[in-house]
Amino acid sequence: MNKRAFAVTPRAAARVRFAAILGVLGPGLVSGFADNDAGGITTYSVAGVKYGYELLWVLLATQIVLFFTQEVGARLGLATGQGLTGLVRERFGVRWVTFLTITMLIANVGSIVAEFAGTAAALSLFGVENHAVSAALAAGVVILLLTRGNFSKVQYLFVAVGIGVSLAYLASALLAKPDWGLAASSLVIPRGSFSAAYWLAVVATVGTTITPWGQAFIQSYCADKRLGPEDLVGERVDVGLGALLTNLIAAFIVVACASGLAAHGVHINTNDPNAISQIAKALAPLAGQGATMLFAVGLLAASFLGLGVVPLTSAYAACEAFGWETGVDWRWREAPAFYGLLVFFIVFAALFVLIPGLPLVEVMFMAQVINALLLPFVLVFVMLLASDEKLMGPLVSGRVLKTIGWTGTGLLVALSLTLAWSSFFASA
Amino acid sequence: MLYLSQAIGRPVRDKLGESIGKVADLIVAVGDSYPPVTGLVVNNNGREIFLPWQAVATLDAGGATLGNTAIDIGRFRQRPDEIRLKRDLMDKQIVDIDGRKVVRVNDLRLDEVEGALHLVAVDVGAGGVLRRLGIEGPWRTIARGLHRDVPERYIDWEDVDPVERSIASVKLRVPHKGLAELHPADLATIIDQLTRSDRVGVIASLDDEAAADAIGEMEPETQVEVMEDLEPERAADILEEMDPDEAADLVADLSDESRVEILGLMEKDEADEVQELMTYDEETAGGIMTTEFVAVPATLTAAQTIDRLRELEPDAETIYYVYVTDPEERLVGVLSLRDLIVSKPEVVIATFMFDEPVAVGTDASQEEVTEVVARYNLLAVPVVDSEGRLEGIVTVDDAMDTLLPQPSKRRLPRLFNRDAGAAEK
Repeated sequence: MNKRAFAVTPRAAARVRFAAILGVLGPGLVSGFADNDAGGITTYSVAGVKYGYELLWVLLATQIVLFFTQEVGARLGLATGQGLTGLVRERFGVRWVTFLTITMLIANVGSIVAEFAGTAAALSLFGVENHAVSAALAAGVVILLLTRGNFSKVQYLFVAVGIGVSLAYLASALLAKPDWGLAASSLVIPRGSFSAAYWLAVVATVGTTITPWGQAFIQSYCADKRLGPEDLVGERVDVGLGALLTNLIAAFIVVACASGLAAHGVHINTNDPNAISQIAKALAPLAGQGATMLFAVGLLAASFLGLGVVPLTSAYAACEAFGWETGVDWRWREAPAFYGLLVFFIVFAALFVLIPGLPLVEVMFMAQVINALLLPFVLVFVMLLASDEKLMGPLVSGRVLKTIGWTGTGLLVALSLTLAWSSFFASA
Repeated sequence: MLYLSQAIGRPVRDKLGESIGKVADLIVAVGDSYPPVTGLVVNNNGREIFLPWQAVATLDAGGATLGNTAIDIGRFRQRPDEIRLKRDLMDKQIVDIDGRKVVRVNDLRLDEVEGALHLVAVDVGAGGVLRRLGIEGPWRTIARGLHRDVPERYIDWEDVDPVERSIASVKLRVPHKGLAELHPADLATIIDQLTRSDRVGVIASLDDEAAADAIGEMEPETQVEVMEDLEPERAADILEEMDPDEAADLVADLSDESRVEILGLMEKDEADEVQELMTYDEETAGGIMTTEFVAVPATLTAAQTIDRLRELEPDAETIYYVYVTDPEERLVGVLSLRDLIVSKPEVVIATFMFDEPVAVGTDASQEEVTEVVARYNLLAVPVVDSEGRLEGIVTVDDAMDTLLPQPSKRRLPRLFNRDAGAAEK
């Protein structure tokens, strides 16, 4: 094995420092913030309102698994310069990549629907109940970002709003006087009813944090930014910070909802059209009457962030699998599959939210469950590829990383099975 | 006609119908325009057996039959100019030279040509994917019912350039004739679509001049990546072939470490030239000028000057003006190619040269240079230092670059545009 690649030359060292300082620009951080999209904010809120501090342990566990899945995705991108589906195509052939692509498309369509639902929910808090308006707005945002977009700049605006909202949650959590002892112990001790509904919330929480599209995103981003093996250390720092921040924000949301709402006996039914305004009240300790508006702004920004990332990532992944032209500098006729997929995403998601009486919170919540259930299929490919020494060279997963990776994948499978098992017994 | 996917996994039988294993791969000898199949790889319970093509009597979608009962195992070895179709080409990225883009191999098409099986085309259409998913038949039936066509796309093997690194060693022996024939701008576009390691492979197969032309057409950030990924010796050779002004711009963007190393490996003259150019601010005449120009003493005749031009073979953009300098290299006059050709051969150039040449100082701004070029309708403007010594020229194309909005075209070619990536460099 070529160990020389790991020797930290002055140049690599300079880059590491740079990446650490300008970490905000890194793929790991962008990916981490994008995890807190509409589905993320809603799911964490639901988890907090329904189960109080009980699900905090899930956040800690998810954070650890997220770091390792993002790390391995980044490593694949750095070592090969290719996206996930491209590698699966070369290594496993057409059939497997078709399977993977369809799996990811289902999960991604779910996520995109969740972003549309998030837009609709945010607008409903502004008093706009007509979902046609929100669907048009969301579709417009996707099209604008794709055609005019300098996404690399716009994303920081969203990230900034995201940080603002998280600070709002932090402040609300502090003002609501949470039971810090209980919160801290809940981080490491799983508590709760372990009912089917409980496991469903666990799965949704995991599913909104570790996602199939996030896996494709981090790898393609690393590959397309043309980072190389010498950027490994910087990327690990970046990914670690991204995972940490994502889950810190998630924890603020959960604690704010737990201390501000659950502790005061607020119950939530995700099928209730008013669920979203209940969730919004978690910001009341900070913003008082303005809580709903503050939450709506944050939810809108989170939805747009997801809309900027997920459709593009999905279309790229699908096109890379089959060698179709990708990228918005092609004309429509030159890249029909790429644009066709984007149109499909927009039209499908728009029509979906136009269903009358759609329970938006439930839709966002269930989209995360679908993501979580499909995630293990994606991760198996990721782990297999990362263990391929011929492909990875010096960046191949060592014994420790391999063990951790497979353990994480195994846990996710076990979690899905637990949910299936508990649902079966609950309904039986 | 046979598709590789139809043969893979089919049974291999000997003359008596006895099963030997399954078709694992086919071997072709590259180099010819349509590579002939030279061998068959058989999977015998997980063990690979190589058979020379002479031993194979038939091969079709039903499998392979051998012409003999006794097979000679192990005598056959894969030669360096041979590649395995499934392992080395299937599902890999190739360059479609005709379409000037990178595509993925869905299937490979083999045909009987003059009694032998040859690789003739690469299937990059939907048909290939459907065939390998095993749903080509039903899909076509449905498509016919809906009066739709299944999009078929083949690339003739002659228009293909394999870029996968596993056959990088083969590529060196099989020159990328097709690639080298592309316009440097097209080649740059293709190289930009490849992964880092593939790019190095493609550049390795080009000669220095073609590589220099292609690199010259790339975006600055891609140039830097390519240069830093190449062997320093090779990078130095390529830089020597580039226009000194382009080379200087590129070298200035390299990391300190690579810059010192690569400049050290260049020929001294060229390295000095590049280093000198690097001392000028990029926004000034010195920064955009090239040091490639033709200068002659005033004492030559027209015929001698034309002989000198023949000797020097200057590039297209620098041949139109011949500058006349005194023994201290000060600019004293200029001749156009036209002046030289229409004058009598024996006349001394000092008598008919234009002796008040327009020139700009090395520290003149880009805008001034552009203005001078435009006002006097020049194809190139000479650049002189404070003593009046001729240091270089700015050609009209380089001068006009400043007029174009930056970046000159809208680019968002990859997942996200690489602004963020460039900022970190």
